[in-house]
This record gives sequence, structure tokens and C-alpha cells, in this order.
Amino acid sequence: MNLKSIHSGARGLGWIALWALALLACNNNPYPATEGDEKVLYSSFREAPRSLDPAVAYDTGAHAITGSVYDTLLEYHYLKRPYELIPGLATNLPSQRPGDPGYTVYRFDLRPGMMYENDPAFALDEPGRTTREIVAADVAFELCRLADPAVNSPVVEPFSNIQGFQDFGQALTQRREDPAFADLPVQDQYASLGGISGVRSVGDHGLEVAVRSDYPQIQYWFAMPFTSPVPWEAVAFYDGQEGRPRFADHPVASGPYRLDQYDRQSRMVLEANPNWYGAMHPEWAAPGAVYPSEGAPGDLEAGLLAPEWVGQSLPFIDRVEFRREKESIPYFNKFLQGYYDAAGVIKESFDQVIDEGGLSEEMAEMGIRLEKGVEPTIFYIGFNLDDETVGRPGGGPARKLRQAMSLVVDSQEYTRIFTNGRGIPAQSPLPPGLFGYDDGYENPYRQVDLERARELMVEAGYPEGIDPATGKPLTLSFDTYDTSAQGMLQYRFFTDAWRQLGINVKVEATNYNQFQEKVRNGAYQIFMWGWVADYPDPENFLFLLWSDLARSKSGGPNTANFMDDRFDALYLSMKSRPNGPERQKEIREMRQILEVERPWIELFHREDYALFQGWLENVKPFGMSFPMTKYRDLDPAARASHREDWNQPVVWPIWVGLALVIVLIVPGVVTFMRERQ
Amino acid sequence: MESHLISNGIVLVMLFGTAATIWAVRRSRLWSSAFVSLWHRRRLALLVTAVYVGVALLDSVAWVGGDSLGGDTVSLHEARSVIDRVFGGSQEKSYSAPLATTEFYGGRGLRYPGGHWLGTDMIGRDVFYLTLKGARVALLIGGLTSLIAIPLALLFGISAGYFGGRIDDVVFFLMTTLASMPGLLLLIALIMVMGKSTLAVCVALAVTGWVGFCRVSRGETLKLRELEFVSAARALGVSEFQILTRHILPNLMHLVIITFVLMFSGLVLSEAILSWLGIGVDGSWGQMIDQARNELSRDPIVWWNIAASGAALFGLILAVNFVGDALRDVLDPRTVKDEK
Repeated sequence: MNLKSIHSGARGLGWIALWALALLACNNNPYPATEGDEKVLYSSFREAPRSLDPAVAYDTGAHAITGSVYDTLLEYHYLKRPYELIPGLATNLPSQRPGDPGYTVYRFDLRPGMMYENDPAFALDEPGRTTREIVAADVAFELCRLADPAVNSPVVEPFSNIQGFQDFGQALTQRREDPAFADLPVQDQYASLGGISGVRSVGDHGLEVAVRSDYPQIQYWFAMPFTSPVPWEAVAFYDGQEGRPRFADHPVASGPYRLDQYDRQSRMVLEANPNWYGAMHPEWAAPGAVYPSEGAPGDLEAGLLAPEWVGQSLPFIDRVEFRREKESIPYFNKFLQGYYDAAGVIKESFDQVIDEGGLSEEMAEMGIRLEKGVEPTIFYIGFNLDDETVGRPGGGPARKLRQAMSLVVDSQEYTRIFTNGRGIPAQSPLPPGLFGYDDGYENPYRQVDLERARELMVEAGYPEGIDPATGKPLTLSFDTYDTSAQGMLQYRFFTDAWRQLGINVKVEATNYNQFQEKVRNGAYQIFMWGWVADYPDPENFLFLLWSDLARSKSGGPNTANFMDDRFDALYLSMKSRPNGPERQKEIREMRQILEVERPWIELFHREDYALFQGWLENVKPFGMSFPMTKYRDLDPAARASHREDWNQPVVWPIWVGLALVIVLIVPGVVTFMRERQ
Repeated sequence: MESHLISNGIVLVMLFGTAATIWAVRRSRLWSSAFVSLWHRRRLALLVTAVYVGVALLDSVAWVGGDSLGGDTVSLHEARSVIDRVFGGSQEKSYSAPLATTEFYGGRGLRYPGGHWLGTDMIGRDVFYLTLKGARVALLIGGLTSLIAIPLALLFGISAGYFGGRIDDVVFFLMTTLASMPGLLLLIALIMVMGKSTLAVCVALAVTGWVGFCRVSRGETLKLRELEFVSAARALGVSEFQILTRHILPNLMHLVIITFVLMFSGLVLSEAILSWLGIGVDGSWGQMIDQARNELSRDPIVWWNIAASGAALFGLILAVNFVGDALRDVLDPRTVKDEK
């Protein structure tokens, strides 16, 4: 008996030793070991995109895929700021000529000889075929899909500026009431209606689009996946029946990468597309297929224009792996272990990573880089200018009141407390990186100046905030639908500032429906709002103050109900003018009007903090949600060695644990033995 | 009428009420011996409760005038309580740790270095001051809700138990219906309908909270109405109303007091849960906990907000529960008999 128990004890110890040895041999690398020296970019996603259909996908997660997979006629220059368009699939930026009255015709010319990625869908038209040439009719087809109510694209509104776009959608709906028509394949439906009247393909490679002359911003939409060429075969073939995936899950496209694997639950893989025009025709040295040779000031010093990349064919990275990470903390830990190449700064460990706006020492030692990019956004407090007290009916005194209120709101302090300092104080509606943004401009009413503000209160007829009508402090309401405790703290920050002037601003937090109701009835005084641009044009910000879009007039997004004839005239003229000194002058004048009128208290432009591993190269943050993966490069050898350094197994806890177990067991065993004897 | 005058009035009424109660207790041998025995059993818990009540009273006496609080000129025209005047006005910009001399993040100097016993919150408010202010809110919720719920429960309970028949059926039907609805959902729905205000929260808590005591008082009344002295009164031709007020109600009073104390702590806790769901009362400890919920995941951690409000809440509930338990022992005739 005794002997047996000793024997089994020894065997147990042997197992533990084996187990410890096995632990020493294995590691925590989540990827196959063979991938070590390949140029693979590791990224992640939280939820799989709802749709990869380029006509529908409109969120950052989906753009991470569609932006790499679908190529566009135009694209953004990788380095230059303000943002600049360069030709992509097109040979040049579009030429313009007047069309029907009120319309301008944009002419795009596609490069001949570009092919789609290989896909069985192309056998639909001609058995055995796996690809075909990209033609202008494919872009026209995609524009028809945008207009098609059945596709339900979220961007119908801007594209309605195309001549005949809305008519096409309506005609389609009407004709579909006839079941014989509705049963036709969509490409035949579009063809029998003759397509959109303002979109015409000229030969195989020419495309003419007639757009309202006051909407030159349409060009930016040709740099987004919404307008990339889509082969009708793919839409017809991938219908989700007989085991075929839906087109929304199976892109067939022309971009630098193709979707190789798509497992919505765990993994998405992009690999370099051998049919991409940049790969097939390096001799073209097309602007969208080689690394740029010039950039914004500072890019040379930042190493973004190193000779090893300039003029080289893209893409540098062969494969992009997206792994699903549902939680942010494990994701960030894997980033710190070197298993992801880029990460955002998560709130939970913000102070561990960022130290006074820069990278903490610990992170800097790891070779991690912090890139800050100002997003094309504006957050602001708006006044309802239809209001008796704060708005237009109040005349000059109300303007002084707005100016005074603007002078005590400290954006710097606000971002420091509520957004971890992510955001730069706004002086005007225009964020940096946009044409018309002036770095040296300081809005005299966006500085913190309590003394001046108190003087203005006296001039406005509210000395020390006392409303002469009631003899009590002036009472205003701040309307919001954010009832969370965090939200209340934010509003408290503003109301505390205004209390310094003797103004008692009450926060009226209601639910969203009640808030909407208040906005509809014009029963609001002060509100807080934000705007994220669709494309980097000053028009996309200044239209928020155009009187035609006033909430009280047309239900538009001008919630401040700002209406100023001079501003409107400048806006309409600026809108259709190309970037240049004239436009700059007009924007400056508009800024001047806003500066004095104060329909908004501009708070801040949001700043995106992104962390990149040292081995990821050519990283320049891009404010808009398009992946610039094809310009990036990485050093797999450096990555492999860092991963090894950062993932040394820590074995002492095992030995300590083992020792503890023994210490706990031995007395028990000893007692047991003694008692048995 | 200005809200602070109402508040002052309530304090005055409460003080008179307390004085009257003390006088009544001293006159009645039963009640005064009960209180003496309570004092002997739970001295500390009674003192802690008294401190909370004292703070709440000091926060309820308010008047206009005096200096402005830290440049806030609106406050000159607002009624401020004793607590506001003594502890308010030491506003900082953002977080600072208890007794710190610099800000928690960034390390900038404070306006009142070392002056914040429990630190400051996200927008620089003194946590000790906020915690003190919470006492009034907690007592208001507990007190006001009990004042609505207990008379309601007594009315229904006594009439169901004493008259029986149809009335009993109706009351019992009401009770079962309410009891079979998920309490929290009913609360949320009621507050959504009535809007978010202190009174709305109290009414909603009362509507969902009266059922338990109603059941108890009904059962007790059923028992009492069969006792000899009630039968005797009825035989002598005493009116129903007189029987109810002279014989039934006084014999339920010990239950009322016990229920009031125990219900009180439950209500304060319920409010904390409602605050966490975003529909609580402004300035309550529950709301402080709600505001602080992201602070625990910060690194380095901001703990003083949740610790202060949590401890204040815990202290009050614990003390009140101790008092309630002791009260039950003291007032229950069975336990009293056992001791003798």
C-alpha cells in the first residue's frame, strides 16, 4: 500500500514536469509560425461589416475592405494636405464643359486594358472566361445601382445632383409594378430604361456625367467606393441562391487587393490582386499605382519620402489579415505583444500610453509610434437664432450676449477633461487639412477672456447677468437628448462657465423624441452638435449655416437657423469656385461674418490618436475612413525579433505554484501517513 | 412660492413634529421604555442615523444672500443651504485625489491645495461636499416615499382586513396584480410617463412599494377584529370608524414604525439602482456612483468618487437597518415578554 502511493506520487510529479516543459516549448503566437517573414499586415475587426456592396457600405469597418478591394476613378493623394485628388482608374482628372443649362458635363477617361480580378462570375457571359476588361459602362451600371431604390444606397442625396438620377429611380419603381419587367435581370431593367439620362459612356473607355453646375463637389464622390466600376455579371451571379454567396458578401472588383477569405465570425484576408493595373502594367507608372514623390511640408523629414519607396510600384504589403477581436482590452494587449501592427488608443489605458500629449516613456522604448491626425470634424454649441433672447429678434444686444457666452467657453479645458485632450480647439468651422483653413487665424471671440465677456454683458443690457425685466439672473435653456450621467457632467462644464457671467443656463435633458419635437417646433435656445465631413471641401462645413437649409425654413441641417444675406451670397459663389485665392478670400469673409455673429461657439476638431508598431513604415494618418494600405510597408524581420523579445515566457509563477502545492500537500500527506500507522 | 421656502417650512414642521413626538413618548410609559431599551441596544446606529438626519436638515435650511461661490455670480441670487455655505465653492478644474495638492492628471496646481478631504470629481467638484449633499436627497426619497406608501397600504390593508367581502376581493386583486409585475420595469415605465423629477421617482417607488405592507396590515387587522375587546366594542354599539381609529390603528402602530424604518433603507437602495439606469434623482449617491462607473477602469484608477458615495450609502443603510431590527425586537410584544 505504502509503496503504491509513493509510486503514484512520483508519476504525478513526472506529469507536472512534462507539462511545464511543454509550456516552455510553446508560445502565445496566434498565427502560423510559417508567416514569420512574409509581408503580412495584421489588423482586426469587431463586427463583420453588414455589407461589402460598394453602393451600400458606408461605415469605417466596411470601408476597410471595400476601400482596398474596389478601385475608384479618382483617389486622394496619400501625403498632400490639404487633400488633393489624383486620377486612379481614370487617366486624368475629369475635364469639364457646359452641358444643358444649369449642368456641367464631367468627362472621365478610363485606362484601356485594365482587368477585373479573376472570378467564376465572368463565365456567365462567355463560358470559360475568368476576367474581363473594365469598361466605362461598368461605372454607369454602378451609378444606376445607386439610383435603384431596391439597392437602398445611403448616398442617394448627393448623387441626385446628376441629371436624370431621380427620374431613373422613379421610372424603375413604376416599371417594376409590371411583374414581367420585375422578373428581368437588373442589368436588362437598367438597359431597357436607357440608364440615367445624364450618364453616358463614350466608346469603351469614356464616361460623361452631367451634374448640376453648383455641385462641383461631385468629384469627391468619384474617389469613394460608391462609384467604382462593378461588373454586371457579379451582381447577376452572386444572388445568394443555390449556395452562391450574396454580392454583398462577395466583392468582384479591380482594386490593389482582393478578398481572399471572408469568415464573418473570425477572419477576413485580403491579398494582393495580380490583375490590378498597377501589378500588370508597372510601366504605366500611374499616379495611383506608384508611391508619390512629393508630399506635404514635413513629410521629407518624417521619412515618408525616403528613396527606397518613392516611385516604387504599389502595393508593398502582400497580405492583410483581419482577425475578429470583440473586446478592446485583449486587442490592445495583443498589440503590445506585437501581434497587431496598429491600434487605437483605448480609454482604459489612455494614461498608461499617453503622457502629456506624447507617447509615454514605456511605449516609446518599445519603438511604438503615435500618430495624431485631426479628423475633418467640428463640434460646436449652437444658438437658435430664431429665439427672442439669444437670436436675431434680440438684435445687437443678443449678438453681444452670444459673443460674451462664447468668450468664457474654454475648449482646451473641455478637451482635456472630456476627451483626454484629443481634439484641437476650433477657431472657425473649418478643420485643419481643408482648403480655407488658416493656421494663423485666431478668433477674438474664441479666446477665454472673462473681463471682456463681463463688459459685453453690460453692453448687452445684462449687467452682472441680471435681466432688467425680472431683476433676476438671465435664464436660458440648453436642450439635449443626452440624459446620461457623463453627459450631465459635460453640460455642467458649460453651465458653470456661463454662471461666471451671471447667466443661469438650465439643462433640459429629454428623450430623443421629445428633443426632436422641440427642434421641430423651434422651442430650443442652445444645443450642442457635431459634424463629420463626407469629403474634404469647405463647402461640406459651411453649408451647415446656409439659410436655405435652416431648420425652421426647410427642415435642413442648419439647426442654428443662421440666415445672413451676405453669408449666403458668399457661400453660393464659393461653392462652385475652384480652390484658389478668390475662394480663399470668400471663405475668409464668411469667417469674418461668423466671427462677429456667433451662431456657433466652435468647440473643437476631434483628433484621432493611432499607435503603430515601429516596423510598420510609411504611415501617415488619413483623416477620412479610407484605408491607405497599399502605400504602407513593413519590416517582417524586425517584427519577428520584437515579438520574440516581448513574449518571453514567464515561468517562475509555475515553479512558485508548484512549490506552494507541495508545501500545502506535504503536511497533509505526512499527517495521513502518521495516522494510518 | 420659492422652493427654498418650502424646504425651510418642511424643516420647521419636522422640528416641531420631533419635539411633539418626544413629548408624547415621554408621557407614554410604553413608548418611553421602548425607546430607552432601543437606545441601550443600538446606541451607535442611532447616533449615525442622527448625523445623517442632521446633515440633511442643515442642507435644507437655505436663504439668499452672502458672497458668491468661486466667481459664480448666479449663486448670489440663489438660495444656498448651510452646507453650501460651509463646504461649497471650492471648485477645481478636474480630478484631484483626496488631500492632494496637485491635479490627478497632468499635475497642475490646485486652487485649494490639500483642501479636498475626499478629492474632486471629473469637473472639479469637491467630493466631500457632494457626498454631504447626497444625505438630503436620500432622506427625501426614503421619507417622502414612505409618507405616500404607508398611508396607502394602511388604508387598503385595514379596510380589506376589517370589512372583508367585496372590498377584500378588490384589494387583494390589486395587490396580486401589482405583485405579479416586474417591479423594476414598472418603475421605469412610471417614471417615463410622469417625467424625470424627484416627486415622480418617489411616487413611482411608492406605487410599486406599498403592496408588502398592505398584506401585513391586512393580516394583522384580520386577527385583531376577532379579539375580545373589538367584539366587546362592537357589542356595545361603538361605530365602525371609532373601532378602527381607537382599537385597530393603535395596535398596528408598531408595525408602521418597523415597516417605515425597513422600507426606508430599501427605497434608498432602489433609487441607487434607478440612478444607475439613468432615471434617478439629481444629486443622489446613486447618481454619483453612475457618474463614476467609468472611473474604475481608468489607469491610474480614480476611486474616491465611488468610494465616498458607496460608503455614505452603505453607512446610512446599515445604521437604519440596525435600528429597524432593534425596533422590531423592542416593539414586538412576544420578544418583550420573553425578556421578562
